[in-house]
Amino acid sequence: MKTGPPSPAAVVELDGLSVRLGGRPVLSDLHASLAGRAIGLLGPNGAGKTTLLRTLLDFFHPSAGGARVLGQEITGNGKELRSRVGYMPESDAFIAGQTAVRFVRLMAELSGLPPRAALERAHETLFYVGLGEARYRRIGTFSTGMKQMVKLAQALAHGPRLLMLDEPTNGLDPPARSRMLELIRDIRDRGETHILLSSHLLADVESVCDEVLILKQGRVAACCNLTEQRRANRSFVELELTSAAPGFGEALAGLGCEVALAGERRLKLVMPPAVAVRDLFQVAARQQVAIRRLDCKRDSLQDIFLRAMEDDRGGV
Amino acid sequence: MAVYERAWRPYAGRLTPMRRRFLVVTRYALAEAFSSRLFTAFYAACFLPSLLALFLIYISHNLALLEQLGLTREFMGGLTLVFFRLLFLWQAIPGFFLMAILAPGLIAPDLANSALPLYLSRPIDRRDYVLGKLAALFLVVSPPTWVMGLALFLLQAVEEGGGWGVTNWRIGLAYLVGHLVWILVISLLGLAISAWVRYRPAALGALFALLFVLSAFGSAVNGITRSSIGDIVHLTRAIASVVQHLFGAPTSSGLPVAVNWLTLAVVGLLSIVVLNRKLRAHEVVR
Repeated sequence: MKTGPPSPAAVVELDGLSVRLGGRPVLSDLHASLAGRAIGLLGPNGAGKTTLLRTLLDFFHPSAGGARVLGQEITGNGKELRSRVGYMPESDAFIAGQTAVRFVRLMAELSGLPPRAALERAHETLFYVGLGEARYRRIGTFSTGMKQMVKLAQALAHGPRLLMLDEPTNGLDPPARSRMLELIRDIRDRGETHILLSSHLLADVESVCDEVLILKQGRVAACCNLTEQRRANRSFVELELTSAAPGFGEALAGLGCEVALAGERRLKLVMPPAVAVRDLFQVAARQQVAIRRLDCKRDSLQDIFLRAMEDDRGGV
Repeated sequence: MAVYERAWRPYAGRLTPMRRRFLVVTRYALAEAFSSRLFTAFYAACFLPSLLALFLIYISHNLALLEQLGLTREFMGGLTLVFFRLLFLWQAIPGFFLMAILAPGLIAPDLANSALPLYLSRPIDRRDYVLGKLAALFLVVSPPTWVMGLALFLLQAVEEGGGWGVTNWRIGLAYLVGHLVWILVISLLGLAISAWVRYRPAALGALFALLFVLSAFGSAVNGITRSSIGDIVHLTRAIASVVQHLFGAPTSSGLPVAVNWLTLAVVGLLSIVVLNRKLRAHEVVR
């Protein structure tokens, strides 16, 4: 199941990927090319997010099509691929009776680090995720939040190029969730590691990701670049004036804006790329119009998600 | 720089060879086993039969010491095939218990704590994982069994001289092949049960139960049919017969040795099938 030529910048490429488990289709004909620094996998429960992650790790074999991760075919390159990937599973997963440092060290050694380097990295990573003081405690005694952090530490210890996080904020209280998202953003901003974050929490994905793949019933419902989306949506502006100003709309239209009146003192406009918000204020100043409120409206991820759930033709 | 002042960073150092990666699993399994003082003490005790045999070989070739003790060289009827067959048995019994203690705890806790996705999301596959666990069992059980056995055989051959080693080559073969065969079969069976049962004490019980139930069933079939057909499922008798055949002694099974070999092969293959079905990163619910 070879796919077409790899795209050099793509982190994950799906080329008609289909997966059947237990005789029923779980993923069907997925096509996408994702190149973001942080990619979100969104979808309601049972949409196939976790199955997609597991397939990308070569746990499940595609029934049709194929996929590439970091430019490598997933089929037949499992070991090589997994040496460049860190995986944080959704459910509780640890090795019984081990201390955090020993557990992370084992995972790093399995990824190929020599024992001494693995031990050093285990200490560093546990300090990084905030478990420095608890690193000699047995994982079985950890709270849910600590277990999530130790799972993140083991995924990071070997310095992967791609970090796959499956519902990393599951079971976390608000401060722990905030700390987890902060860590993920920090990893993203260091620029060395790509992140593939699977979640059904829109806020988590929106706060971390710059690209999102939305799945619905095992199919791609939408795939969009959030950064571009945000940038594009900056051109939608809603204005509220202190008093009616009949000529103001025409003056804005003179700048090239599409203007629609939403009341006597309210206007909605779409600004062309050459026009900035500053220009609106200049026109208002010339016309001696006072602006009470100005909203640069943009589509939230929630809007995108809801649209995708209503219409899954793909490509928002 | 103190470790707590370091931030996380990508790793750019050298990596260990991929083909030796399974040994990480082995090393951690061994460390886990020997972290128990009780196990370590029992392990040391497993060498006692071999040390006793070493002492007997030593004094049987030390005429001065024998004279002082008032014994002759024939005090134990010479170091014959029977002596080495008995020694094999006294090495195999503690070796079996070593394996019975160790094997159920190798896979069951990993499955019980969903650790398999963590192992298999690394650059190792299921074969490496099983190989790592098997190697741990092999490395633990080998020294007190075939390694000591072969060393004693060689010592006796050197001390006795006169072509004793060549004449009794089957003893060396039996120690090497016999021990390796039962270690492999029981290891695979132990790992398969560990993967199937997932709860360490239950896995230990299941291993003993399986061996005794199969043996009892085989004996019952033999009794009812007044034949040796039940020996097909009599695992302990199959192992014993194969070893006896390797020693060149009469076998305890009424079936041809080839059937005993077949029994062991089938048990080994079934264990591999169970491991293949049970050791997956994620179970698929049908």
